[in-house]
Amino acid sequence: MSSAGCVHLSSLKQEAHWKQSVRLIHQWFVCCGSLEARKRKARSCVCHLCGAHFNRLHSCLSCVFFGCFGRRHIHEHAKTKRHPLAIDLYHGTIYCFQCQDYVYDRDCELIAREEQRKAWRLQGAAGWYTNWEPTRRELELLRQNPKRRKIAPNSTIGLRGLVNLGNTCFMNCIVQALTHTPLLRDFFLSDRHRCAMESPDSCLVCEMSRLFQEFYSGFRSPHIPYRLLHLVWTHARHLAGYEQQDAHEFLIAGETRDDNGKKGTHPNHCNCIIDQIFTGGLQSDVTCQVCNGVSTTIDPFWDISLDLPGSSSSFWPLSPNSEGGGITNGEKHAPTGTVPLTSPTSLTDCLRRFTRPEHLGSSAKIKCSGCHSYQESTKQLTMKKLPIVACFHLKRFEHSAKLRRKITTYVSFPLDLDMTPFMASSKESRMNGQYQQGDSLNSENKYSLFAVVNHQGTLESGHYTSFIRQHKDQWFKCDDAIITHASVRDVLDSEGYILLCPLSCARFVFECRG
Amino acid sequence: MNKDAQLRHSINQKLIENGERDRLKELLRTKLIECGWKDQMKAHCKEIIRQKGLDHVTIEELVTEITPRGRALVPDSVKKELLQRIRTFLGKNSII
Repeated sequence: MSSAGCVHLSSLKQEAHWKQSVRLIHQWFVCCGSLEARKRKARSCVCHLCGAHFNRLHSCLSCVFFGCFGRRHIHEHAKTKRHPLAIDLYHGTIYCFQCQDYVYDRDCELIAREEQRKAWRLQGAAGWYTNWEPTRRELELLRQNPKRRKIAPNSTIGLRGLVNLGNTCFMNCIVQALTHTPLLRDFFLSDRHRCAMESPDSCLVCEMSRLFQEFYSGFRSPHIPYRLLHLVWTHARHLAGYEQQDAHEFLIAGETRDDNGKKGTHPNHCNCIIDQIFTGGLQSDVTCQVCNGVSTTIDPFWDISLDLPGSSSSFWPLSPNSEGGGITNGEKHAPTGTVPLTSPTSLTDCLRRFTRPEHLGSSAKIKCSGCHSYQESTKQLTMKKLPIVACFHLKRFEHSAKLRRKITTYVSFPLDLDMTPFMASSKESRMNGQYQQGDSLNSENKYSLFAVVNHQGTLESGHYTSFIRQHKDQWFKCDDAIITHASVRDVLDSEGYILLCPLSCARFVFECRG
Repeated sequence: MNKDAQLRHSINQKLIENGERDRLKELLRTKLIECGWKDQMKAHCKEIIRQKGLDHVTIEELVTEITPRGRALVPDSVKKELLQRIRTFLGKNSII
């Protein structure tokens, strides 16, 4: 296309209602948000000449006519009726038959993008997945700074050690995991954080944004995270000082009390990026043992804390005839207290235990809303809404009234994890007798591992390190200032403490424009 | 219309009505970016344009030229996953 644009489109834009008609075609036939629009699209989107629903259907911009591009029926129409412009019904782009090319017009692109966003919102998808488009100012900056850095499969950009500032490995290992969270990386590197705080100097998310700049700056010397540490100390006073701290506590502090102080006023309605990607919904069903009435509550969660075998909690191991046992893949579980040596406990076992019905006992009677009396009941947790990034916390540190110790039981975890069996919807369909073993190819509820935080040592003195995944399948071990290559086996054989996994179908692909 | 075409047509209608077609499109787009297909095709297009010269290539020619290669380069695993998704969808939604 010539750089001057298309004269045919320009003349169309002289007409009074051209915007309205472009918008209508988008709403009803390109990106349909409502069911009504989808029904109409399904019924009427066929070539008016040959009846095909494929072959790149286009809609005429001057009259009501759909024609396929593949068999040149839309070309025929354009020629006989002298209607030179048509919209591609798959992509919403405008084609000019006179210029024989697609036309990129600013006004039309804006309409297309607006309608696309509206449709996504109506269908419940988050709009912030859209690709990055440079603003005028950014284009200017790009012109002024012509040097580009390209990401090759073997480049180590983004890997940077962190100096230990005195027992701060609890912070370093989490920072390494967060800075390699693909969604967070894309968010911060595309400069999406808009600080609403009066003094940005005390905003943790602003500091995260700066950290990302440091990590991806290309410098190889270890970064000294003193600013972050200072902010953490002022934000979460319980973590201040040079004593040893718990990495999990730090992560929670980072997740729950970050930006804008919003957290204080509306505890469940923080909109920051960390909250958006880590929050899930946990459904708790309490069933009365007398009337079988179920009362359901849904609470937000930011991580999934799992009990380990060997802990003194009384619910381990699974009894094979409990409801949760019905979803195993034919694995056997020893009904006695010992876990067989041949198959170590897996993350799936822990999750199964987490989501099985639990008898609340006679000392914890709850008032049933069905029979209006205090009765014994069972409680079962299931996942109502999965977070975009799941954080599994294995409770390796036990602090009970009787003892304080670290549980070193090895728990195997997979690279890919399907959460379908632990969903509230699966439980419902199981109860209706519809449950089938989920097909392995369905990726909706699948997570893939990208960071593992480990703890070496004892409760009193120990050290945190983390494994992180870079590119597609390369692993690196981050031990404060030292970063080394690691194999997948190293990762899977390690004694995991915190596991971070994003949904595999979440669209975290970062587009590199070359 | 023969029976096969009719069936295709009603499947397509069902997919659009449910919004599943849009979801499949997004899934496919993500998969093709992930496996490097998009980058390969982009490089291929750039090569063709460089050979012919920017002013001597139309979008139609470009599409005709890259289509066979584009189809061939889609990994089997991606095709399988999409097919499986459509199968599951059809299992849940009775057609006709």
